Parts: sequence; structure tokens; C-alpha cells
Amino acid sequence: MNHTITTQLSNGTATFSVDPSLYPLDALYGAAYIFIDRCFVFLDKDEAGRVVVSLSPKKGPADEPTLQSWAGEFGNELLSCAWRHQISAQNRQVLEQVTSLALAGAMGPPSLDDLSNFDFSSQPLEDPLGIAMSWEEKYKKKTPAAAAGTPAVAAPEAVKP
Amino acid sequence: MNLQLPALAPRLDVTTQAFFRFRQVGKKVLITNYEGFWALLTPEEFERYATGTVQPGTPLHQRLTDNNFFKATYDTRKAADRLWQRRQALTQGPNLHLLIVTLRCNESCVYCHASRAGMDQVETDMSRETAERSIDLILQSPNPNLTIEFQGGEPLVAFDVVKHAIAYANEKNKTAGKQLEFTMVTNMSLMDEEKLEYLLANRVQLCTSVDGPEHLHDGQRKLPGASAHMAATKWIKRINQAYADRGLDPTLYRVEALLTTTRDSLPLWKEIVDTYVDLGCRALFLRPVDPFGWVDKTARRVEYPREDFLEYYRNAVDYMVELNLKGVQVLERYAAIFLSKFFGNDPNFLDLRSPAGAGIGCLAFNYDGKVFTCDEGRMLHEMGDSSFLLGNVTGSSFKDIVSHPTVRSMVLASNLDGQPDCINCTYNPYCGTQSTHNHKKFGSVFGRARESTICAVHKGIQDYLFERISTDDPKVLDIFQKWTTSRPRTHFLQPPTA
Ligand code: SF4
Repeated sequence: MNHTITTQLSNGTATFSVDPSLYPLDALYGAAYIFIDRCFVFLDKDEAGRVVVSLSPKKGPADEPTLQSWAGEFGNELLSCAWRHQISAQNRQVLEQVTSLALAGAMGPPSLDDLSNFDFSSQPLEDPLGIAMSWEEKYKKKTPAAAAGTPAVAAPEAVKP
Repeated sequence: MNLQLPALAPRLDVTTQAFFRFRQVGKKVLITNYEGFWALLTPEEFERYATGTVQPGTPLHQRLTDNNFFKATYDTRKAADRLWQRRQALTQGPNLHLLIVTLRCNESCVYCHASRAGMDQVETDMSRETAERSIDLILQSPNPNLTIEFQGGEPLVAFDVVKHAIAYANEKNKTAGKQLEFTMVTNMSLMDEEKLEYLLANRVQLCTSVDGPEHLHDGQRKLPGASAHMAATKWIKRINQAYADRGLDPTLYRVEALLTTTRDSLPLWKEIVDTYVDLGCRALFLRPVDPFGWVDKTARRVEYPREDFLEYYRNAVDYMVELNLKGVQVLERYAAIFLSKFFGNDPNFLDLRSPAGAGIGCLAFNYDGKVFTCDEGRMLHEMGDSSFLLGNVTGSSFKDIVSHPTVRSMVLASNLDGQPDCINCTYNPYCGTQSTHNHKKFGSVFGRARESTICAVHKGIQDYLFERISTDDPKVLDIFQKWTTSRPRTHFLQPPTA
């Protein structure tokens, strides 16, 4: 039988190989990361392209039930990360909106201190198309001297009489 | 009755229904939608709904239409209003601010949540300057309603700091103009008439711990040389009397008491309820133990499987309903919170909402000036894990604190619309998760709902409540409606100072 995760408990290390076509790499990293305070985590790739995960104890030998529980928990966490990865992509908009709402709500509107700390000295954004200009400013009749300096991107029909 | 979904599958017609989730509850099927409307259906009614054969003009069709379960008549405005009722608290900023005025405590409890210090460890008292800087930050919260909760350790041990903080906050609030409330969580054993007079005069709401009958309470809360239970109950009665003497409505103004359910509590559900009723308390909060503070070390003594907790919970609440039927007014807080949510009046309980309140609805200010997302984050710090530390009252601005990356992660992680399991759960619109708990139990703020004891408790309580609702007993429904009534305790608001 071809398991998606096969576990070997040898030399005090739990080793699994994971089929990367079933689990996104982000989910694998996410699952592996939560184990780093409990054990040393190594990720590798075998010849068949499967990701090999090894969990070994940080101090002293780990008994078989511990290794088995690490392996089992890794499988659960991996599935959870993979599913969450999918949900986050599907619900991205609502998650981002609610998060922004909550953080903006917690921070409140900008205060006078925020405004006084704001750096007004920086150059305004470049606006070659005149998007930020008022209609009058953008399309007003130019003096010949000014018209000579009209940028090439200005709408030519607008400056015709 | 078991839902026969495979048998239903060939006849399913998913073109008429608006988005819904479903779950078997007792003999009925509960359906809920995204915004939180619900309906309890018989299996036959559910079959008609699932197969798109509900006849227009029938009471079932009307009920489902009224609750936004059909695509054709989906009322977006109604859905948005209901959703906004739930979400609006998110826009207001932190309301609850815990001030840990000391870690010292004169009691030692088997489940101590506070990572207490011995009475000689005066270095764990908050300084006046730290209290002032904390209050300066608190008053910067955009929320117009602020509650400052004095906690410990035992806050009466550092009563001078409490008094200084109250005076300073009231003074500063003359410019800030917030609606300010003070509460104190105390074991009462260091209370005396002078302190009480000060607390009453300054409208400080008092909350204490009562774990149940004397033998249970004193078995888990040790007060050297005395009975912790007697100390607490003596002052509960005295304070309730003082409220009445001041002409305050005795049905509204009473000392609030909390209990922590340990393994020893489980068979004593009736005695626990009776103790509260005898003390004149009108509410119990049947909370399970959590993995913070000392519980880790004493887990073998206090922990239990959550099925056992749920059996205890059902027994206790059944008994409270029975008492209510006899005219005794007592409610269970978890039930009241969930029922309020079911009936469309979300009380914004910070641990039971999505996203949860840590960092955006509450902050914890430790005795040493360190600021945390919540009390649990602070307790983890005392246990050596500073993952939920946001800054310091002397070096961080309010905005630095609430926009800290940890807060952002917690907001994302506690949004049930991003969580496996919760995303499909019928209770999604009413539920919440706790990132600190997940971090402690699973090593990540996301956790895994299906293995989480918090999820087991939330699911079990909601199952119980919907089961009771599904029996359509008008007397029980009437009691449940009463439990959702919330009357503001305006006496505890500080008088306007401007
Ligand atoms: S925490 Fe559990 S009960 Fe609550 S929504 Fe998630 S899965 Fe459902």
C-alpha cells in the first residue's frame, strides 16, 4: 500500500516521507516549524521527489511512544496547515477586511501627534499624466512661453483653441 | 434519529438554498447561515429544504424565508445588519485594561492563574509611576468606554497603588473624557471596613472567587490559618448589604463571583449551584480549568476529560433551569453569552468572538510595566514564554502596542473564517477561539479546533442549549430569553469629571 506519509522509528528518530503533490510546501514548513521547540527538524528530498522529514530529540534518547506521538501530531498539523492554506486563499478578502477593520479600530484615527510627526518635507509624487491636477490647471490656456514647456504627454487636443 | 445523508444525496438540489451549515442536535437538525440566523428543523423538514421541495406558502417556507435561508429572497440588508451587530465592537478599540498591581498573594490555589508571588516579594508590586504610565496609555484607547480592572496576585495587597491609580485616572480623565469604570478581582481575605468604604465611595465593582461549598473551596484555595471560603462569603454578604443600604437595586448590584471547575468540582454540581443561590448570587460562570499558571504543574490533580465537564455542565444548568421554574433567579454565564448571540444580541465577550479580543479589545499591564495582549499572555510570560509581550509602558506608544505584529497574527488566527473545522461548523457565527490557548497547547496561535478542549467545551455547550431550545418548551424558552436580558449597571460608571 502506498501511504502518503510513511513513518520509520529508528535510531531514536522519527522519519516520514511526504508526497509533495498532496501538501503545499508552505503547509510543510508551517507544520515543521511548530516542532522546533520540541525536537530537531530536518527536511530533505528523496530520489522519488518525496519530502523527507526527520524529527530527533534535542536531549537524550526519545522513547518509541514519544516518537510515535510526534509523527502522529506532525501528520495532524500538516493536514491542518494544508487546509488552512487553502481556506486562507479562498477567504483572503474577508480575512483581510476583518483584520484591517480590527486593527484600524484598535489604533483609532490619527492624532495631532501623528500629524506633527508626519514628514511633509518629502517631494510630492511624480505625476507625469497630471492625474492629481485640477481640470483648470491641466487644461488652462498656456502662454506661448509656458506652452513651449508643455510635456509631451499632455493631451494635445486640450490645448487647441 | 440519525441523518441519512447518503440516502438523501441523489435527491439533493442545491439551487434554491442560500449558504447554510447544518448539524444534528437531539432529534432535530440545526441550520445556521453566515450572518447567524438559525432554524431547527425536523428531519423531514430538513429533507424538504435540502431537496429544494419546500412549498411556498407553507409555515416552513415562511420561517426559512424570515431567517434568510433561500437564495431567491435573500435579504442582503438584513444579513448586513446582523453581521454588523457582531462586528461593530471590532471598530472601537480596547475597552478592557487589566492592571496587575502586584503578583503577591496571601492565598495559594491549586489552579492559580496568576503566577503568584509570596507575600515577601514586594518587588512584584507595581510602582506609582508604572501605574501612571499605564493609565496614560489606557486613556489613549479610541474606545469611549474604558474599564480598568485591578488584578493580582491579590490587588488588596497593593491597595495604595490601586488608590493612586484611581485618583490619577480620574484626574487625567478630565481631559480624556472617557466613560470610565473600575473593577477589582479580589479574594476578599484582606478586606476591611476602611478599604470597603473607599471602594464603595469610588464605585469600584467587586468580583471574587467562590469555587462552591466550603470543603471544596478551602481544599483548592489555601489561606494560611483561616478559611478562604469564610473570608469570601462573609464579605459578599456584607457588600451586598452595603449596596442595598445605598438604595441600589439588589437584583442588579451584587458582588460577582467566579469559579474554576476542577476534577473535585465535577460531582458537586448541585452543591455548587446551591452555594451560589444561598449567597444571593444570581449568576455562575462554569468555567473549566485552563492550561495557564499552576495548572500545568498540578494538572494530574485538577484536570479531567472534557466529556466529564460537559456532563457536569448539563447537570448544573438543568438544575438551574429547574430552580428558575420555581422562581429562583440564577443564570449560567456561558449559556447567557451564547443565547444572546443566538438571539442576535452579541454581548461582545472578548474570549468568545471572532476575531477574539486579545490586543484589540483588551490589554494587560503587568506590575513591571510590560504590556501583553491579554491576561493569559501575561501568565505565559510569568511561566517563561514571552510570545505575547507587546511593549513597555515607558517605551511604547499606544499605536505601537495595538498594531504589534503579534496582535495582527492573533487577529488573523482567531478569525474563524480562516480556521479549518470552524469554517464548516454550524456554530461558527457564535463561537470563538483563543490564540494563547492554542499556542500553549499546539505550539501555534492557530491550533487545531478538533483536538482543542476549548472547541469541545464550546461545541458541547451550544449542543446542549440548542437541544433544550429544540424541545419547544415555552417555559424554558422564557427562562432562556430572560438570561439574555442585560441591564447596564450605570452606578459603576465614574461620574463625569469635565
Ligand atoms: S471552535 Fe469548535 S465549536 Fe467553535 S466554531 Fe470552531 S469547530 Fe465550531
